[in-house]
This record gives sequence, C-alpha cells and structure tokens, in this order.
Amino acid sequence: MPATDYQGSSVPFGALGRSIMSIRRDQVHNMEGNHDSSVQEAELELFQKQVTERFQSLVSCNEELLSLPWIRHLLDEFICCQEEFRAILFNNKSHLSRPPMDRFIGEYFERSVKSLDVCNAIRDGIELIRQWEKYLEIVLTALDSNQRTLGEGQFRRAKKALTDLTIAMLDEKDSTAVIGHRNRSFGRNTTNKDSRPHGHFRSLSWSVSRSWSAAKQLQAISNNLTPPRGNEVMATNGLAVAVFTMSSILLFVMWTLVAAIPCQDRGLQMHFSIPRNFSWGASIMSLHDRIMEESKKRDRRNASGLMKEIHQIEKCARHMTELADSVQFPLTEEKEADVKQRVKELAEVCETMKDGLDGLDPLERRVREVFHRILRNRTEGLDSLSRPNHPE
Amino acid sequence: MESSLMAENGEDKLLAVARHIAKTLGRTDTMTDDILQIFSTFDGRFSREKMSEKIDENDPRSFAALELTLKSLDRQISQYVSADQPIWSNSVDSAAFLNTLDELISTIKDWDPISGEKLIGSCLDRADDLLQQAMFRLEDEFRLLIERSGGGGGESFELNRMSGADSDEEEENDGDEDSIPVANPISDYDILIDALPSGTIADLHQISKRMVGAGFGKECAHVYSSCRRDFLEESISRLGLKKLSIEEVQKMAWSDLEDEIEKWIKGMNVALRILFPSERRLCDRIFFGLSAASDLSFMEVCRGIAIQLLNFADGVAISSRSPERLFKVLDVFECLRDLMPEFDDVFSDQYCLFIRTEAAAIWKRISESIRGIFMELENLIRRDPAKAAVPGGGLHPITRYVMNYLRAACGSRVTLEQVFQDNSDYRNPDNTERSLNSTSLSVQMSWIMELLESNLEGKSKIYKDSALSYIFLINNGRYIVQKVKDSELASLLGDDWIRKHTAKVRQNHVNYQRNSWNKVITALKLDNNSLPQNVAAKSIKEKLKVFNTHFDDICRTQSNCVVADEQLRTELRNWITGNLSPAYRNFLGRFQTVPELGKHADKYIKYSVEDIEHRINDLFQGNGGSVGGRK
Repeated sequence: MPATDYQGSSVPFGALGRSIMSIRRDQVHNMEGNHDSSVQEAELELFQKQVTERFQSLVSCNEELLSLPWIRHLLDEFICCQEEFRAILFNNKSHLSRPPMDRFIGEYFERSVKSLDVCNAIRDGIELIRQWEKYLEIVLTALDSNQRTLGEGQFRRAKKALTDLTIAMLDEKDSTAVIGHRNRSFGRNTTNKDSRPHGHFRSLSWSVSRSWSAAKQLQAISNNLTPPRGNEVMATNGLAVAVFTMSSILLFVMWTLVAAIPCQDRGLQMHFSIPRNFSWGASIMSLHDRIMEESKKRDRRNASGLMKEIHQIEKCARHMTELADSVQFPLTEEKEADVKQRVKELAEVCETMKDGLDGLDPLERRVREVFHRILRNRTEGLDSLSRPNHPE
Repeated sequence: MESSLMAENGEDKLLAVARHIAKTLGRTDTMTDDILQIFSTFDGRFSREKMSEKIDENDPRSFAALELTLKSLDRQISQYVSADQPIWSNSVDSAAFLNTLDELISTIKDWDPISGEKLIGSCLDRADDLLQQAMFRLEDEFRLLIERSGGGGGESFELNRMSGADSDEEEENDGDEDSIPVANPISDYDILIDALPSGTIADLHQISKRMVGAGFGKECAHVYSSCRRDFLEESISRLGLKKLSIEEVQKMAWSDLEDEIEKWIKGMNVALRILFPSERRLCDRIFFGLSAASDLSFMEVCRGIAIQLLNFADGVAISSRSPERLFKVLDVFECLRDLMPEFDDVFSDQYCLFIRTEAAAIWKRISESIRGIFMELENLIRRDPAKAAVPGGGLHPITRYVMNYLRAACGSRVTLEQVFQDNSDYRNPDNTERSLNSTSLSVQMSWIMELLESNLEGKSKIYKDSALSYIFLINNGRYIVQKVKDSELASLLGDDWIRKHTAKVRQNHVNYQRNSWNKVITALKLDNNSLPQNVAAKSIKEKLKVFNTHFDDICRTQSNCVVADEQLRTELRNWITGNLSPAYRNFLGRFQTVPELGKHADKYIKYSVEDIEHRINDLFQGNGGSVGGRK
C-alpha cells in the first residue's frame, strides 16, 4: 500500500498525488505481470520530458540563481521529479527485482540514504543562518530609526553584535583567530587566562560528529554514477535510464544545497558530467557551471555558503561595520542618512529571511519534506523488492 | 514610601522641564505665557500657579538636578562597569548596582517624553550610553553566573549529582572528547536536577528582567541558551552518546549498534525525563514572567540535542531489516512510545512544536521498520531452499528458528499489536476471511505460520521415501503445535488453529502408518483354511518371505529416521508394536502348525516376535548404524 502523503507537506502536491493514485488504479490489474510495454515506454519518455522542462524552468526562471526563492524552486522541482520517479517504480514493481535492475535500484537507494545525511546537515546550516539573523536583529534594534538619537551607546551595541556575527560566520573555519576582537567589558587585565572559545561563540550544536564531511558525502553519492550502457538499458526496459536520471538529479540537488548553505566541510569539487543525449543534461550542466563560477568569484571564494542572502548578510554586515567604525559623535546629517540607508538594507535582508513563503522557515520545511520523500521512496522500494509478486 | 518620593521627584523634574521649554521657546514674555497656557490646559499638573511660581529661579536648578542625578549615576555605574571583579561576587555590590541601574532606567523613562529639548536630549544620550555599558556588563555577569555555577564553561559539571554516583569525580581534561567519563546508569527518572543554585537563579532572574526590560532580551536569551546548550551537550556525551550520522548508524556492525541502542534508550530517558524538564524549569525560573524569552531560549537550548537523539532513531529505522534485529528495534519503539507524553509535555510551546512532530513521525517510521522486519522474516521462510531438508525427517532448523522467534516476539505482544494495529494487512487486502475477529497481529502470525507450513510441505516432498515425508511433517507439525500451545501464540492463533493443526498432525500419523506399515501387516493376513495343505504351506512360506522383505525394507529406509520428541517416539513405536506384534505372533503360531514348515521353522523364520519388537524399538533414533540382522 502506498503510504499516505506526508502530513507536514506545505506543497500543493495534492493534484500530483491524485494523478499518481489514478495511474495506480489503472495499473492495478497488470501491475503483477507485464506493465504494457508501450505504456511503459511512454511513461519513461514522459519522465525525461518532465525532468527536462523542470530544469529548464530553473535555468530561465525569474528567481536569482542561489537565492532563497530559487533554492525553494529547486527543491519543489526535485520533489516533483521524485514523485514521478516513485510512480514509475510503482508501476514497474515486477521489473525491479530482476537483474540488472535490482543492482541499479539498490545503488540508487544507497545514494539516497547518503543524501539523508546531507539533508540533516543542511538543516543544521539553516539553523546557523538563523543565528546570524539574530545578530542582525540586534543591530537593527540598536540602530532603529525610532530611537531618539543614534548615540555612541547604540553604535557600541551594534558593533558588538556585528563582531559576534563576524565571528559566528567564521565559526566553523577558525574561531580562535578572531577571539582577540571579542568585546568583553571586564577582565581585560586577566586575559589569556582562558583562551578556549566560550560557548558564546559556538553558534549551535551540529547534529553530526565533527569528522563528518559534506564534501566526502557528495563524493560518496557520486561514486560510480555512470549512464547505463545500451545493453543495460535493453535489459531493464529502459528503467535504468530513469534511475540514472533520478540519481543525477539527487546528486545535483544535494551538491547545490551544500554549495548554497553552510555545512561541515563544504567542498564543491566533484566530477559531474551528463552526456548530451540526456535532454535534461544541458540545463543541469549549465546550472552546475554557473554555480561553480559563482564559487570562484573572489568575494565568494571563502564564503560559508553561496546563497545570495548569505552574501547580502556579509555585505551588509561589512558596510555596517565600516560605517560604525567611521562615525563620530554627534552624527552629521549625512552620516545619519547613511546609517538609515544601511539599516534599511539590513532590515530588507532580515525580511527576506523571515518571509513566510521564501524565507528560512519554509526552506527548512522543504528540506525536511525532501528528506521524508526520499525516505518514503526508499521504504516503498525496499518493500516491493522484498515482497515477491507471486506468493507461493 | 520610597516610590512615592521618587514619583514626587519625578514630577518636580517634569515641571522643571516644562518650564524650561516654555522659557526657551518663548522669545517674548507673551509667547512664554501662551505656551504656559497651552501646558496648563494639557495637563492638571502644569497648572498656572505651579508653573509660574518658581519659573525663573527653578529652571536652571531643575535641569541641573537632572545633570546632577546623571553625574552621580555615571560615577556609580562606571565604577561597576570597569570593575575587574565580578559584581555578583558580592551581594551588596550587585544589589547596589541593580538599584543604580533601576534609577537610571526610570530617569530615562521620566525624561524621555521631553527629550526633544536639546539640553535634555544630550543628557539623555549620555544616559543611553551609560545604559548600554551597564547592559554589556550585565550580559557578562549573566554569563559568568551561569558558567561559575556549573553551566556552559565546562570547568565544573553537575550531572553526576543526579546519577547518584561518582560524584567526587570533578577533575577531568577538557577538550579531550575521549576522556569524558560515562555517567553511571540511573534507575529513577523521577527527579529534576537543579543545575544552578537557587540563589544564582534569583540573581539571573534579576538580570534577565532588567535586560529584557531595557530591550536587550535578544542578547540575554542568546547568552543563556549558548551556555545551557553546552551544558546539555556535555551531559549527553557523558551518557556515552555519540553524534552519529544516519549512514554511520546504517553501516555499524549489529553488535555495536545494539550497544548504541542501549545507550540511546538510557540517554533518551535521561534527556526527556530529567534533562529537558530541568532545563524547562530553569528557563521558566530565570525568565519568570517573560514567557516569550523563556520559550525561545528553551528551544534554542534543546533543539540540537533533541535532533541528535531523534536522528539516531531515524538511522535505526532505515537500517537493515534482518529478523534478529527485531527485539532491539522493539526496544526503540517502546522507548519512543513511552516517552511520547514527555515529548508533548516538555515541548508544548509553539517554538518546540516541530520537535514533537518529528518525534511522532520517527516513532511511526520505527513501527514501519518493525513491519519490514516481519516482511524479511517472511522472505527468509519463503526462500529457505527445499533441498535443505534434514536427513531422517527430523525437526528442521527453520521450524525451530521460526517458532522460537515467534514465541520470543510474543513476549512483546502488546507492543507488536500496536505496531500492526494501524496498518491494514498489506499482503492480501482481499482476504477478508482471515481478518474477521482477529487482530492484525494474529493475522500476521497466522500468515507466517502458513508460510512456514507451506515451506515445510515443499521440503517434505524431496524425501524419496514417502514414509520419511510423513515423519518429517509429523515431527515438525508436532513441534509447531507444542510451541504454540505453551505460549502467547495459542491465544493469538486461537483454539481453532490448534485443533486444526493437531488434526493435521494426526492425519499425517495415519498417513505414515498406512503408507509404511499397512503392507507389512497385510502380508501377515492369513487365508482361510480351505486350501490344500501343500498350497497353504507354500502360501504361508511366501507370506513370510514378503513380510521379511518389507520389514527389512522399512527398517532399512527408516533406520535413520529421527523422532526427536520422546513421547511421540514412544507413541509411534507403541502403535507399531501394538499392531504388528499380535499379528506376527498369530502368524508365527499358524506357521508352526503347518507340519512341513514347523519342523524347519528356524530356516524360514528370520525374526522372533521379540526381534521384531527390538528392531522397532530401535527405530526413530536416527542411529542408522545399529541396523542389522538378527542379534
């Protein structure tokens, strides 16, 4: 029995779900035996076409590459692909346990288990960005335009939050190097008594061990991912192509998440190529190349994530820090206008991240959704693999 | 009394400010008068007499009063703010500092409405600056208070107190993860720990109240949660729990995973019954009356650990479904089930809602995984190859394995019923007959029994001798029925099932007898006496020959036949001797009466009755070697 839709779903998949259900009802009579080969062929072709369209839409959409709305869009498309793929597996149950299909599907499920850890790491990463957002909010509160005046005290408060933010953003790389900057109001005479970074600077607890590496995980997902050979395609009635397609999408999406969002030991170097004969390959390769390009830009090279909004946080924080360092009191009108402008920019970044549709919360829910769907797909797949079609 | 004095003082200031404004703005006396008029109609406190009375002389003095107040506050606060020693190391200091701070806050509040006035405005800027410094200091004091009393700093650590063991062990090497000693197991979860002394909690509350009140709630909550999070993390690693990725859990050797599961179950209980509720209580006390700050801080403290704990269960849920894992996975299921009320209780606020949802989802996945394990068991039975039949028709290992497995599983009957409850029969939904009047678990169990029987039937067919097939079915069938009868399986499968299967065993009994012994007994049947003597003698001689051949055959083929069950063995032998011996004795008697045979009886009679019985008694022991001719 197919499991019911994940209750926490915030995506309007009802329609898709229904269509899959009706496909199932139609197929119910021949699902035991041979799924009509022409129907099957059409189904597989449709899948290729849909995947192509989905990724084309990611290339040519209005959302800026690697922005929160774009990542959300990517995950939505992934979830749709996953559902379509799931329907294909369901309709071809009887083929799954036959070699070499059993091997292909088994490998796919192994990749998908690996991707679950990426999803979890990304969830931690989103939480990390939320922590940064909190510092920004302190800056906003301190320099709120409704304040009577912008005095030294307010700036000191903002600067402290900005320093904490800078340290937090460097946290995973090297937290001790910047410790000297920390703004402690007492005990200066007794410094270095305790050089260990305090809990204060550990922005959050990661749910994986310190040795876990996103780069290695991506490597593991990509291992041995090659297009099926002609005879393999024949032997699996073309299903091997669908599995390769889904595996590639899985890898690409996980790679993009790691590229965009902070997580432990990010690394984007990965051999990734899709032969031209796959209609969706061009779009994915183009996205891949653009993201690689982004990662090589000078100001992004050391970024903790390529997500646009992280870049904005960094930029805003830097501008604000420069400004805060340069002000003299009382503020000139010109400076005050500058501050207002910067505060406005900062407020906008915070707003973006808080957005009910495209903010961090919906993103986290979406990542969870991806996690659950991958998991369910695997469970269903394993069930149908282990359940014989003709019980004795 | 003090507060009324302060209020009076505040009113004086207010009047002074108002007078000051009127005087500064009114460039002519008429203008000043107009402004005063406006004031008086605006608020009774600004009545003409009050305002006009001291307007000239008091204005500078009153402004000076603000200046004076600020100067004095500045002096006191700066002194504290720059102190090298923690203010809270001395209760007199801390109380004085808080008083000064309160005075500063109320001064700012009092003067704020008229801060538009330039002189006052710049005074208030200084006041703000002072407040800022005081808040920074408060934040540090707040952190220090938590760290000093066993919070996040890690120097001292109080979890041992609750474990009631190795409490003397205070010293340890920080930073070396391997050296973190594991806390002793605890059995009583009905305790909350006071991670901080109540005096400290009261101090922290005093600070948090000021910080939240002055708009520094975010800073305060942040310091709080990062310190407590460290404490919690350390507590969890003290319980021996590692941070494991899903893949790590999945790849772990089963014996290691078993250990991890055990540690996890203890860790879950400590976390959900002691650590999280203790954190909740601490949070509520420190942020008393500030519920938003309290809820948010609590979530920040617990979130990481809660996710870490749940991730492990996720890893278990998707790891291998091999049947031997059932019992440990059931433990995980029960642990989550038993802790669901705790999840609901401790994570009841909106910020923590997602943790509850996650826990429930993972619990469900564990239940799916248990059903998956049963599916694996079914496959194991179904795929057990027929050619793996045991020699001698004895008890097959698969029968023993499955029956003992199910009996053990029934030890967790209530849990298994929950596991199978919400799940309709996924195998053959159209089979309505089975699901009538039975729980999903009993459906599951009888389905497995059915699979086992059909597998055994397949195995029985590979014996060349059909008698062995029957022995095989009897042996295994009887074992199954016995194992069912004296366990929970009896009530799950029901009396009908037992009756049906007892009958089946009996039927196989009959089949066996009919199949192997009937022809031997038939051989001994005597014809009626009307035959001529020589013909009768020949016939009897022939019969004896046939008997000997059949009997030898049976003894040979069944010589390594095994009936493990003592009682069954006796039953079978008794039946055979009970039927065969009298017939044979009777036959021998007749044989002796035939004259030309009686003389040479020894030549024809291979076995005496005793020999026969002796050989029968040798049967079913599986010791094919002892077969032999007469002794």
